[in-house]
Amino acid sequence: MAPANIADYLVTDDLTLLLGLIAATVFLLHTFNKPQPLVHPILLGRQSDVARVRNPGESAVYRNYGTGLISRFPLRPGKEVHILADFVRSDHDLPRTLWNTKITNATLQDRVAAVGTGFIRLAGLQPGESNVLLFLNDCIEFLISDLALASHSIPSFTLTTSQLLSPVLESHPPSAIITNAELLPSLLELIYDGGENTQKYTIIVVGEPSAHAMASVASKIRVLRWDEVEREGNKVEKILSPIPKPQDVFTVSFYANGNGQIQGAQFTHANLTAGVAAINSMFPAAQALSRLDTIVSGHSLSTAYGRAVAYSAIYEGTSFATLHSSKLFRGDEATIKYDVTDVLSIKKFPIPSPTILFIKPGHLESLVDAILREAKKSFFLNSFAWRHKLAGISEGFVTKDSLWDRLVYDGARARVIGEGAGTVRAVVVSDGTLRASILTPARVALSCPIINTYTHPLVAAPILASHPLDLQSFPPSSEKESAASGPPSVNVEAKVVGISDDAVEAGGDPEGSLLIRGPPVGKLGGVEESYVDVQKLEEEEGWAATGARAIIQTNGSFKLLA
Amino acid sequence: MSFSFDTPINTALFLFILYSVERIIFPSASATPKSVPREFKSGYSWMPKSHPPTVLFKTYTPKTLEPFNGKDGGRILLAINGQVFDVTAGRNFYGPNGMYGNFAGRDASRGMAKQSFDLDMLTPIDQPLDKLQDLTSDEIDNMKGWIEHFSNKYIVCGKLVENGAI
Repeated sequence: MAPANIADYLVTDDLTLLLGLIAATVFLLHTFNKPQPLVHPILLGRQSDVARVRNPGESAVYRNYGTGLISRFPLRPGKEVHILADFVRSDHDLPRTLWNTKITNATLQDRVAAVGTGFIRLAGLQPGESNVLLFLNDCIEFLISDLALASHSIPSFTLTTSQLLSPVLESHPPSAIITNAELLPSLLELIYDGGENTQKYTIIVVGEPSAHAMASVASKIRVLRWDEVEREGNKVEKILSPIPKPQDVFTVSFYANGNGQIQGAQFTHANLTAGVAAINSMFPAAQALSRLDTIVSGHSLSTAYGRAVAYSAIYEGTSFATLHSSKLFRGDEATIKYDVTDVLSIKKFPIPSPTILFIKPGHLESLVDAILREAKKSFFLNSFAWRHKLAGISEGFVTKDSLWDRLVYDGARARVIGEGAGTVRAVVVSDGTLRASILTPARVALSCPIINTYTHPLVAAPILASHPLDLQSFPPSSEKESAASGPPSVNVEAKVVGISDDAVEAGGDPEGSLLIRGPPVGKLGGVEESYVDVQKLEEEEGWAATGARAIIQTNGSFKLLA
Repeated sequence: MSFSFDTPINTALFLFILYSVERIIFPSASATPKSVPREFKSGYSWMPKSHPPTVLFKTYTPKTLEPFNGKDGGRILLAINGQVFDVTAGRNFYGPNGMYGNFAGRDASRGMAKQSFDLDMLTPIDQPLDKLQDLTSDEIDNMKGWIEHFSNKYIVCGKLVENGAI
């Protein structure tokens, strides 16, 4: 009786055929509709090229896997770029908007030449002899002054915080100071407070100084208006100075290190070209910077990294503007908040919709919170959208063009950022600790490459930069754990010192102080020897101490420890 | 009809369809796996098991260098001009039965300079290191050429100092 029973059980009919077809279709859909990861996970397991030998107490030297240990570092973004003036490409003719000004490269070069001539004739600056302090908030005049001074080999000083103004004026008095009109009163006050030490200053003011401020100018100080200087330069024949060499120092950036001591980082033209090359290579080749982009930066031009970002924008011909929070020098004492309002402050400039944001962790966190809150307003759809996005991210895939974006997230982004929300195509986070727990929500909310970097005032480029298409997420060991910063950037090599050899020989992760070396790293100088705290041997081999502690993971990415 | 027990195939197919559709519409909601996979095939967010192997740079004396001659099947080291190279990969040449086996575990500077593999090119272990003062500039260049060759092919894993200097 048994065989008959089995045959009974296996009876098929038309419905079976139909269900079979449907089952096959559904099975194929489910299996093969899985999206391909944006970057193959095998590459994410080997993000650095590691040296085969290491010194006792130190880790091996790590370089970016794309650069490799054998190749030379990329030194410039293009073959013909050697000095700062080469960033303004003559073969690019189309205008772009820098802050408030729509300008072509040719006009920019003319203005730079005029201002340079004006500096020498009217302000009495001498190439190779004078120094100029750029006590300016970010504006096109900053860039023009920087280019003009560099082309005449007049080193410029910049400060990363306003508290450094009086120590720097005391220890390294410049021949001239370029400043904004609203900063003039406080600057004059500071100079007068300096007492008998006041030397003869020339102050060049950008903007219209108030009559009150002009009246308070002492006899030893000469105040010129920037417009006058530019007009003077336009009237007469342009003065040509010998072309600076790439190894010439063109700027000194003063910053306060972790111990509160003032350090001066000297940067040469070569440091900046290497920095721009590094910033360009942070983006995947298919999504490289181009003329159609608009870069928005929250990093002041007074810092080396902020300057490199600005020069990347200049070199690629993109439009560029900075956030309100990048104003280092303010008349008022309001605390700076890094949040959505700050990001939206870009709207006051007539630039096209931003495509690339260089922001700080605070900006990212508040943006992501706001977008996800807006998305939650469509209750039903949002839970689906969230699940589907997460499923994609766990397979290594994310895109802005999916169904869920069109249904939920595009609307949420538009409500937070405004009309231009759809154009943001990459976000670079620097200058602060990014919490690991915010990474996945950020990837869902923004659906574009988010690059976590580590920057330092001594380096004109990111030191560590995560892979742009990396969507990995690991269970965090604590709530406050920071996200991995990725491997060293393409032209920096890094190692950690002060590690425990036993732990590392047993297979543990090296953990210690981070040291770096490479073309974009500036030289510490311009300060008294007693301030500089660097081990002599490291200094001889060219290693610079960042003062940060890091741990290196097995896949070659570095994670900074608080 | 398909729910009746008479056609279990239909029931099975129907349940399978329901399950697959459910997986498509409600994918799993967590991006972070419980334990980190150690192979890239096991998951996207993976971490390799171990770091790439690195060798610790050590300081050797002629006495501590000598055991590394490959006779016990271990690492083979040789020194040229104070730099110690790990030539284990070239066991055919520098191992006990190799053509240049005399150099294993020893300071091979003079031999490299004079292009000779004789035993009298080697200084006995308990004597001070060969100062190489009587070499001509051609021979020094030859030795430097060999150092270049070795640096490209093998790893520099240490330096050689006098006995008793450590």
